[in-house]
Amino acid sequence: MKRTTIASEITGKVWKIEAAAGSKLAEDDPIVILESMKMEIPVSAPIDCTVVEILVAEGDTVAEGQAVAVIEG
Amino acid sequence: MPYEKTLEELAARRAAALAMGSPKRLAERREAGILNARERLALLFDPGSFEEAGLLAQSVRPEMAGRTPADGVVSGFGRIDGRLAGANAADFTTYGSSSAETHGKKQGFVRAACEKNGLPLVYLNECAGGRIPDIMGAAGIGRAGEGGRYTRRRSSPVLAAVLGLTYGGGAFACINADLVVMRKGSVLAVSSQMTTSVAIGEEADPQDLGGWRLHSETTGFVDAVVDTDAEAIAWIKRALSYLPDHANAATPVQADHADGDAAALLDLVPETRAKTYDIRKAIAAIADAGSVLAIKDRFAKAAVTAFARIKGRAVGIVATNPMFKGGALDPDACDKIASFIVLCDSFNLPLVFLADTPGFLVGLESERRRLPGKIMNFMAALELASVPKIALVLRKSFGQAYLNMGAGRSDTTAAWAGAEISFMDPAVAVNIVYAVKREDDPARFEDLAKEVAKGTSAYDLAAPFMAHAVIDPRETRDYLARHLDIFSRRLTGAIGDHRLADWPPAF
Repeated sequence: MKRTTIASEITGKVWKIEAAAGSKLAEDDPIVILESMKMEIPVSAPIDCTVVEILVAEGDTVAEGQAVAVIEG
Repeated sequence: MPYEKTLEELAARRAAALAMGSPKRLAERREAGILNARERLALLFDPGSFEEAGLLAQSVRPEMAGRTPADGVVSGFGRIDGRLAGANAADFTTYGSSSAETHGKKQGFVRAACEKNGLPLVYLNECAGGRIPDIMGAAGIGRAGEGGRYTRRRSSPVLAAVLGLTYGGGAFACINADLVVMRKGSVLAVSSQMTTSVAIGEEADPQDLGGWRLHSETTGFVDAVVDTDAEAIAWIKRALSYLPDHANAATPVQADHADGDAAALLDLVPETRAKTYDIRKAIAAIADAGSVLAIKDRFAKAAVTAFARIKGRAVGIVATNPMFKGGALDPDACDKIASFIVLCDSFNLPLVFLADTPGFLVGLESERRRLPGKIMNFMAALELASVPKIALVLRKSFGQAYLNMGAGRSDTTAAWAGAEISFMDPAVAVNIVYAVKREDDPARFEDLAKEVAKGTSAYDLAAPFMAHAVIDPRETRDYLARHLDIFSRRLTGAIGDHRLADWPPAF
């Protein structure tokens, strides 16, 4: 099992957190949803994995490349 | 028998050259599942069609003469699915297919013949770099600059496969190609980690220096990534099937084609424009089934560039993908699209623009990475392109991105019913123009949003004849097929002006 940090690909605001520590996700399942450019932009699991930690809260501003979660899988 | 000794010598010389470099190296490759130069060419060319140039060539250095079969590159001509083409295949078992005088002359011979006769050219590359000592000294580097090896005129398609360690001249040949496929495990870089380590004291993993992830995701130099040599060659053959033999030939139209599934678009594309989806699925539904070949699929993913067929006609598709960055175009996306426009325009492929974008991706990072310049390069390529262009707005297209995605500057412009078009997203405009945020005053925000959203529908674009049609999404495929028929003929028989043929190789 390898730990991986998941980063936001875009600057924006955290609109919704869709998973919590311990959540089991399939590839492409959303972890958090950002609001940017007036779009709902999911940050998704790149592989089937378990969420280790969510690093942001709803309403936070995140920058491009900023870590939003740690997964294991 | 007359000529007996003469013919024996010819046979012996041919056999020695066909044996390539050391048997040990050939065996190592076989064990690693990596093909040698001649096996690769056998996959590329139709059986029995290979006509070799320079089988008996060798190094100009007398002491190397017996040890440099074909001087490390197998060159010549053959047929790819019936079409004549040239190829240079690196023989890495002969001094790492390093660049040297005869080696370069052979490649130049095939390249010049392809340019002069309008034949596609394929590089199957590996290259240890410049051969030492040949390239050393003033005359060594001077010789390397002779000939036209760096000229890129996009007169006939050049396709390259990176199939191993590819440095120096071998890497530059790939950069100068129109399309590049890379086998995983290969490296494309100016110089190896050994040179890097000595030159600047930096230790680097070869994959970090020039591996498939770097080139498919960060530099965008590589158009596709595959796992095996055979897949790389299959990719080259497939990519070539969308292109004409040369710039003065029309793009092939296939008589037989599979149907698309445009009816599925209502389900594939969410009606709510803030919702994301993968536009690649929509493209697959619009095009002939199984006909889409993504170009640079892992790079700048907010933009999609792909070859496809619509009712048998090869086209280049440029789209924004809401799945990534909301479909907002960043500086890399601009480069990706501009280079694709250059490619399509050079080889007479009509361009279809599918816009579903909130605009260009604004912000610090984009401005630092030269977004305004990138937008204008993209626009310059669009404006100079003379191939047929069709612009279609799916759900929304705002601001400068609306213009860059071809609307109003194509042969024809259309929009899906329900599309929104404006200078900026109405919700952003309320914030900026009236300084009202939804969370502060929801009622006033909604009133103002309604006001600002007036005049932003597809019908508001159709009324002044700025959109020439407003269509049901399910009509997309037929609409495109019919309008490609109308706008593809030209007085030149579908041959473009090629004003982008001298565009820089990489930018």
